[in-house]
Amino acid sequence: MPSCAGALSTTTAPTQVFRVRGLTKVYGTGPAEVRALAGVDLDLFSGELVVLLGPSGSGKTTLLNNLGGLDVPTTGELSYRGLDLTAADEDELTTFRRNTVGFVFQFYNLIPSLTARENVALITEIATDPLSPEAALEMVNLGARLDHFPAQLSGGEQQRVAIARAIAKRPEVLLCDEPTGALDVRTGIVVLEAIQRANRELGTLTVVITHNAVMAEMADRVIHLSDGRVQHLHANANPKPASSLNW
Amino acid sequence: MLSQLDRKLWRDLRRMKGQVLAVAMVMACGLAMMIMTRSLIFSLESTRREYYEANRFAEVFAQLKRAPNWLAGEVAALPGVAAVQPSISVQVTLDLPQLDEPASGNVRSLPDFAAPELNRLFLRAGRWLRPGSRREVLVGEAFAEANHLRPGDSVELLLNGKRQRVSIAGIVLSPEFIFESRPGAALPDNRTYGIFWMPYKELASAFDLDGAFNYLSLTLAPGASERAVIAELDRLLTPYGGRGAFGRADHPSHIRVSDEIRVLHLLSIGFPLVFLLVAAFMTNAVLSRLLVLQREQIAILKAFGFTNRQIVVHYLEFALVMVAAGTVLGTVAGILLGHRLVLMYHRFFRFPDLSFRLDQSALPLALLVSAAAATLGVLSSVRRAARLPPAEAMRPEPPANYRPALIERSGIGRLLSHTFRIAVRNIERKPMQALFTVAGLALATGILIVPNCIRDGVTEVMDFQWDVLQRSDLSLGLVEPGSVEILHLFDHLPGVTTVEPVRQAFVRISFGPRRRQLAILGLPAWALHNRVLDATQHQVVLPPDGLVISGKLAQVLGAHVGDQLLVEALEGKRTTATVALVGLAEDFAGVAAYMNVRAVNRLLDEGDVITGASFTVDPARRSDFLRALKDIPRVTWVAIKNSLRENFRQTTAANIGLLQSIYLAFAVVVAFGVVYNNARISLAERARELATLRVIGFSRREVGAVLVTELVLLSLLAVPLGLLLGTGFSTAIIRAINTETIRLPLVLTHGNYAFAVLVVVLASAFSALLVLRKLNQLNLAGALKAPE
Repeated sequence: MPSCAGALSTTTAPTQVFRVRGLTKVYGTGPAEVRALAGVDLDLFSGELVVLLGPSGSGKTTLLNNLGGLDVPTTGELSYRGLDLTAADEDELTTFRRNTVGFVFQFYNLIPSLTARENVALITEIATDPLSPEAALEMVNLGARLDHFPAQLSGGEQQRVAIARAIAKRPEVLLCDEPTGALDVRTGIVVLEAIQRANRELGTLTVVITHNAVMAEMADRVIHLSDGRVQHLHANANPKPASSLNW
Repeated sequence: MLSQLDRKLWRDLRRMKGQVLAVAMVMACGLAMMIMTRSLIFSLESTRREYYEANRFAEVFAQLKRAPNWLAGEVAALPGVAAVQPSISVQVTLDLPQLDEPASGNVRSLPDFAAPELNRLFLRAGRWLRPGSRREVLVGEAFAEANHLRPGDSVELLLNGKRQRVSIAGIVLSPEFIFESRPGAALPDNRTYGIFWMPYKELASAFDLDGAFNYLSLTLAPGASERAVIAELDRLLTPYGGRGAFGRADHPSHIRVSDEIRVLHLLSIGFPLVFLLVAAFMTNAVLSRLLVLQREQIAILKAFGFTNRQIVVHYLEFALVMVAAGTVLGTVAGILLGHRLVLMYHRFFRFPDLSFRLDQSALPLALLVSAAAATLGVLSSVRRAARLPPAEAMRPEPPANYRPALIERSGIGRLLSHTFRIAVRNIERKPMQALFTVAGLALATGILIVPNCIRDGVTEVMDFQWDVLQRSDLSLGLVEPGSVEILHLFDHLPGVTTVEPVRQAFVRISFGPRRRQLAILGLPAWALHNRVLDATQHQVVLPPDGLVISGKLAQVLGAHVGDQLLVEALEGKRTTATVALVGLAEDFAGVAAYMNVRAVNRLLDEGDVITGASFTVDPARRSDFLRALKDIPRVTWVAIKNSLRENFRQTTAANIGLLQSIYLAFAVVVAFGVVYNNARISLAERARELATLRVIGFSRREVGAVLVTELVLLSLLAVPLGLLLGTGFSTAIIRAINTETIRLPLVLTHGNYAFAVLVVVLASAFSALLVLRKLNQLNLAGALKAPE
């Protein structure tokens, strides 16, 4: 139901969603200490599509996990619309993830025993104002494969189900960790189209991790991370449609 | 030096220690029982054998009226006889100041100047009788202990109507009285019945048996036929009032020990078998899961040139470590429990030294059996994993194939929650795994039923014995059969409300080639004190003619109601008659034959005589009544129902209670082990899926529900099946215990079933809690990385 999705697009001025200051994350202690984040300062705004670039070990995933409430920082400030995520307890983080964040992972993480529709419905049942599972799957062009199990879908299709699952609750934030990492170019582009469409039509703040620099061309803003810090950050005046990318 | 593969083995094992422990514990329970029971069998059998050998326990025994001593020489000359010991055995009444009721005993003679040839005594305390001494006795340990008698104390015996104070020289044990009990009594009462030994000369002159004997024991020459010797002996002794000789197999004390050993044999096979079966299922579940997890590692090992054999051995080692742990735990537990149980046997069986002896053959057997069980449990999955081509194994396993579950295809799918769908589809996708889990859980439920069923059976027997069959408060026996007139005397004793006559007669009952020696119980037609009931619990009225026997005895003889049985009296005029079998009686302890008291006397061609009586007594005047009995010299023994019952409660019931609690504890461990193991495997297999659910916003409780639903579904399948299995196990065990000495009714109460269900539910709840705690420690971010 694209018409329905279209009605959801937002035209209001961007507002600050995340405020990140001096964020550090240290794993382990003593000689085994690993400094995954070494002081990140960042603001993320509603409706934008941000691509997070950086080599392996630069702290991309750690940052994403902290933003998504999967992990808590060691020091620093991290707030979502005024909610201090560093002070939130497990239940508050669960609520935050449940109501606010949609996740897309490199390896899809679908529930193998549920069909495409059921994987999405799993979320819509616990969300407050969700899309219908069918509408969410339609948005990623999987309206015809509603009743297939993950094992009956290709990698790209599985990833699109994962995107549908992530956006079905109309999350304010969509976090994607290497969403095309396990896919070939053609399939990867289809997946990126789905992410871009969700971002545009639902006005979701979307953060995409990649180490594929080409993807930066579709972003509103590009953040380069290295050694646990933001190296530089630039805005893209004319983001390209995902369909025009090639690598 | 540890190879790297061994290092991997130990580290992997450390990670899965909870499950390793669960499997090892279940195995340990089975092995502990096996080692415990086999060692007890070994302890009892070897101790008894050594005792018999050292103290020259006879092989054939005969009671008779009176025979001249020279006859013993003729017996010794019989072909097949090795050694003969003639002696005197008489029943006496005792007066113990601390007892209200008269006590009784059996006095045996000892040669005046030498140790007896056979059935030699073991001196526990004090000293032997001095040659030519008078007024001295040796006393059996059980009676001495129950009455706190020590060497130097004295007791008053009524020897052939003559009161005589004798002093106790020593406390002794005899291979003939490992189990001290009044002949014919199903249960011992060591307080009121004892065994004594006196010099031949003194005993013979007290009972007018000078130069004669009335009890004979003998041993057989190697290779001699016991049957033939008994036949010859009976021929020789019949003119002297022989009551029919019998071998060890019919010796009351020997039978009791043998019966215990037989029950232990039963327990040493049945329970361990089931436990090890459960352990095999569990090992299979744990290792199958491990192999799936380590699919890529196996591929890498193979890519680097490890042979299939090395890989098979490596994974079998996982199973063998669990086996080794289980064997060590089981052996230690078996030895500790065995020591405890041997102490319990001291209460029943009197050996010079009964200590726990480890049956060493049980250890390799235990190891072998559990290793075989574990290997069988895992071999096929290990070999399947080893056969996987490396390139294929290197790729992560493709997403599992699912389809809507049967229950959904049946059309009610729309009603199901997602949690429920995930659970049922998982179960349906891996039916074998689900089957093994259900089987393990069902077995665990089943074995919970058995110990309680045995307990309920014993309680039922005792209630039946004392509340339904035996309605009198006490019964007594006379020294000699006496005129029925004595009932008038009894009737007028203080406190007596009712009295009924009892006429016991030793007979041999034969039907075709099968025969049994026992005492016929002659009772009034409408016996109200010793009731004879049929299988439907209706009282059998004893007809003027004909015999009613225990159902079990009829089975042993192969006789049916209407058949004619040959009854040969082994006392009095030794008459022989053919008597119709007119009814079957339901009883549980020993086998019995009942007849109308008049019919018995007619059969024996005697007048109206009785050998004892049973009473109901006004409780307020009980002491008066007992004291009055003490003054009637013809009364030789008194059995008080409540004291027998109390005695039983403290000994046999305590024994069964101890065994039952051990078995129950084991069954509980198994139930917990199976459920916990299953929940852990479920968690391990689904960690990624569950973490994903947590990441996308499900609360801990919601995710826990997914895990618990599967557990609950499997339990719902397993528990009814387990109750059915338990019923089967119980039936089999109760059937196997169905012997001539003891039979148990199959009693399956709602309480028993409810208890089994409760334990499984508690085990499930507890395991669920443990696993849910693990769930809270799930590494959410980690689950999003590449599948393992």
